Amino acid sequence: MEDNTVYINAPREHLVDLASKLFNDFTCSFRTCIGIDERPLNGHFSVTHVFTDDRNSLYVLLKTYAEAEAPRIPSITNVVPAADWCEMEAHDLLGIEFVGRDHYRLVLPPEWPEGVYPLRKDVPYDYRPRVRGVSERLSMSTELGVIPIGPYHPALHEPEYFELYVEGERVVDLKYRGFHVHRGIEKLAESRMNYQQINFLAERICGICGFEHSTCYALAVEKAAKLEVPERAQYIRSIVLEVERIHSHLLWLGVAFHFVGYDAGFMHTWRIREKIMYLAELLTGSRKTYGINLVGGVRKDINEEKKQKTLEVLREVSSEFKQLVEVAINVPQVRRRLVGTGTLPKEYAVKLSVEGPVARASGIDKDARRDLPYAAYKYASFKVPVYGEGDNMARALVRVEEILESISIIEQLLDKIPKGPIMLEDFEIPEGRIGVQVVEAPRGGDVHFVMTGRGRPYRWRVRAPTYSNIPALKIMLKDQPLADAPLTIASIDPCFSCTDRVIVVRSDGRIERLG
Amino acid sequence: MKRVFKPVELIVIAGKTGRVTIKYPFEGPLISQEFRGLIVISPEKCIGCGACVNACPPNALEMLESPDKKILRYYIGRCIFCWRCIDVCPVGAIKGTTEFELATNDFLDLYTYITHSRAHCTCGTGGEPVRMRRYVIEKAPIVENYASKCPDCRKKSLINAVSLRKVGFVGEEARTS
Amino acid sequence: MEKKLERLKRSIWIFHLNTGSCNACDIEILDALTPFHDAERFGVKLVASPRHADAILLTGPITLESLPKVINAIEAAPRPRILIALGSCACGGGIWHDTYSTVGGVNSLLKILKERGIEVDAVYCVPGCPIRPEALLYAIALIKGLVQKKVKPEVATAE
Repeated sequence: MEDNTVYINAPREHLVDLASKLFNDFTCSFRTCIGIDERPLNGHFSVTHVFTDDRNSLYVLLKTYAEAEAPRIPSITNVVPAADWCEMEAHDLLGIEFVGRDHYRLVLPPEWPEGVYPLRKDVPYDYRPRVRGVSERLSMSTELGVIPIGPYHPALHEPEYFELYVEGERVVDLKYRGFHVHRGIEKLAESRMNYQQINFLAERICGICGFEHSTCYALAVEKAAKLEVPERAQYIRSIVLEVERIHSHLLWLGVAFHFVGYDAGFMHTWRIREKIMYLAELLTGSRKTYGINLVGGVRKDINEEKKQKTLEVLREVSSEFKQLVEVAINVPQVRRRLVGTGTLPKEYAVKLSVEGPVARASGIDKDARRDLPYAAYKYASFKVPVYGEGDNMARALVRVEEILESISIIEQLLDKIPKGPIMLEDFEIPEGRIGVQVVEAPRGGDVHFVMTGRGRPYRWRVRAPTYSNIPALKIMLKDQPLADAPLTIASIDPCFSCTDRVIVVRSDGRIERLG
Repeated sequence: MKRVFKPVELIVIAGKTGRVTIKYPFEGPLISQEFRGLIVISPEKCIGCGACVNACPPNALEMLESPDKKILRYYIGRCIFCWRCIDVCPVGAIKGTTEFELATNDFLDLYTYITHSRAHCTCGTGGEPVRMRRYVIEKAPIVENYASKCPDCRKKSLINAVSLRKVGFVGEEARTS
Repeated sequence: MEKKLERLKRSIWIFHLNTGSCNACDIEILDALTPFHDAERFGVKLVASPRHADAILLTGPITLESLPKVINAIEAAPRPRILIALGSCACGGGIWHDTYSTVGGVNSLLKILKERGIEVDAVYCVPGCPIRPEALLYAIALIKGLVQKKVKPEVATAE
C-alpha cells in the first residue's frame, strides 16, 4: 500500500468473492479492468480491476495472473454488471478468456483476422490486414419495426450505429454497434512515442474533452515516478480544466436546444461560447487541443494582463448566460420535451456504475474533484449539484449549475495563485512502476492507468466516461416514444471518440444484450 | 401570466446584442497574438541535427538520406502545430507565425525541403551534415582534427602517434589510414 | 466536366462526413455556421443526405471499420463532386498515419476509390489541428475564386 493506493494480489479462486465484497459491502464504484501482456517480464498475462472508494479517497487495484498458453480468468460480470464491456475488450485485444460468460466481438472490425491480437507484444503496431471494404446488411425482423439511426445522420456528430426496434411508436429494444472511431492509440503509445509525445496523442483522443485526458496521463506518470510538480503548474492546469468544462457544457446545451427544435437558443448559446473559445486561445495558444501539458509541468504562463482579461470575460459570460437560461427554460416546447422523458432509476445507476451528470441527476453523489482531490482542487470550495428525478431535465439542470460553479472556481483560483516556476527541470522516470489517476471530465470520471517502461510506457489504458454510460441507454430508452430517442441519446452527452480509442470490430452482426 | 411571456424576452436579448458577424475574408479574422500557426524554418541557421525530427509527434518533419545529401522535409499537411520543434531546436532556426490560411488543391504545395551536404571521414563512413560538425566544434572543447575522423580512424591515428613517439617508426600493418 | 465545375461555384451545399476523427474539426464546422463566422453569407448550407451535396467535408483518418460506409457515402453524391479534406488527420493521416486500424488519409482513399471506378472531380486540403472556422471559410472562398492560394513549395539549400 502506498500513498492512496491499495494493491491486492489475488489468486484466481478468490477473485469473484473479493470483487463482490468490494462492490457490495464496501460500496466502492467499479472503474475499469485492464489486461496486460507481461510475458517479457514474468511469463504471464494479468488482469487488474480498478475500484475507487469514494468516501475514503482510496484507489483499490485487484490483480490476478494467468498462464501464457491459454489464459483463463473467472469473470466478475455476475456480481459487477459494469464490468461487461471491459472484459470483452481484453478478450478482443489480448485473447484472454473469461470463464463463466459468453464472448462476442466488441472492438475490432468484422474483417479482422481471427487469432491476431493487436495488443500482444509480438504483433507490430503497423500491421494492416487486407481490406475488402464491404459493409454489413441490416438485420431484418418480421414482428417488430426496425429503425436504423446512423452511422451518418444529421443528428449525430460522430459515426455510431443504433438500431431501434419499435412497436408502433414505442421503443422496445436497442442494438448498438459502435467503435467506428477506434484508431489504435494504446498500441501506438507503446511503440513509436516517448513520454513527452504522448501528451499530444492523449489530447487528440477527443476534441471536446481533450485537455483532461492529457492532464490525467501526466498526473498518472508523475504519480508513478513520484515527481514533485511546482504548485503554480497545478493551479494553471486546474484553471484550464474548468475553462474546458464551461465550453463543453455550453456546447451540449446548444445541441440539446437544437434537438428540441428551439434553434434560437442554439445560436445564442454558441454565441456566448465563442467568447470562451477566445479566452482559451488567449490563455493557451489554440482554440481547442491546447497542447500546454508536459510531464512535469506546463508550457505557458498566465501573466497579470491575461488574468485581468480572464476576469472580465467571465463576468460578461456569467451575466449573459444567466439571462439566457432564465428565458430558455420557460419555453413551453423545451419543458414538455425534457421533463419526464428518458428516466434512469437509482438502483440501475448504481449497478452499472454510471458517471458524471448522468449519475448526479439520478441521485448519486459522486464527484472526483471532491472525493479524490488532484491538481489544485483542494484549495477551492465548490458545491456539487445533485437531483433525484433522473430525467432529461434533471441532467440539463445539473449541467447549468456546474457552469456557474466553474466560473466561481476559476475566480477563486486566480486569486490565490502562487508565484514560482512552471516546469520541473531534470527528472528521471524509473521502470516498472504503476500509476492510476481519476480526473473529473465534463462527462464523468476518466481513468488512466500507466505502467512505466524504458523511455515509453509499457502499458497505458484509458477508460473514458461514456464507456460506462452507454449500457445505461438500454434502460433509458425502453418504452419511450420514438421521437424522444435522439434527444435521450444526446442527453448522456456521448463522446464516441473517447469510447472507441481502441479498435473495435464487429464481425457478424450479433445482437448483444447490453447491461 | 408572466411566465407565459418570458420567452418573448429573447427579442430583447437579441436586440441588445446586435450584429456580431465578422465579415471574413473581407475583414481581418478574430485572432489573438498567441495563436499557434505555421512554422518557418530558416535555411541559414539550420544545422541539420535532427532534434526536431525526434520530437515531432506525427512525423511531419522527416530526414531523408542519400549518400551525399541529407534533406529535411516538412510536410504541412501532417503538422499538428504543437510547436515542440521550436522548443527543442538548439540554434533557434524555427520561428512560429500566426498564419492559418493554408488551403490548396495541390498536395505538392505543402512540402518544404532544406538540403544539407554531408561530410565524411577519409575512410568513407559517417556522414553528418557539414554545418552540424562546425557547430559541434564551435561549442564543445574539441578541435577540427578530432571531429573530422570516425572513431575507428581516430583510434588508428592515436596508435600511430604513440608508436611513432615510442619506437621511432610506424609498423607496416598500422600504416593503413 | 470542367465547365460543370464552373457552374457549381454559386452556392455550395456541403455534407459532413466524419470518418473517425476526434470531433474537434467537426465542432469547428458547426461553429462556422453560428453568428460569429456566418457561413451562410456564401450560400453554404449543411444538408442531411449525400445525395443533395455538392462538396463532402471529410474529417478524420479513415478507420477500417468506417471504410465501407465512407465509400458508400461518396458514391451516393452526384457528379461533379468536390472532396475537401479537413485537418491534419484527413490530409496526411495525422498522428495516426501508420497504425493498424486506419487507412491513412485522403491519398490512400483516392487510390481505393480509383480501383472501384469512382471519380472525384476536385480535391482540396486544409491543414490545421483543429482547423479554425476562418480556415474553412478561406477554403470555400478559394473554391469560389474570391481569394488566391498562399502556400507554395519551397526548396532551399544550406550553404
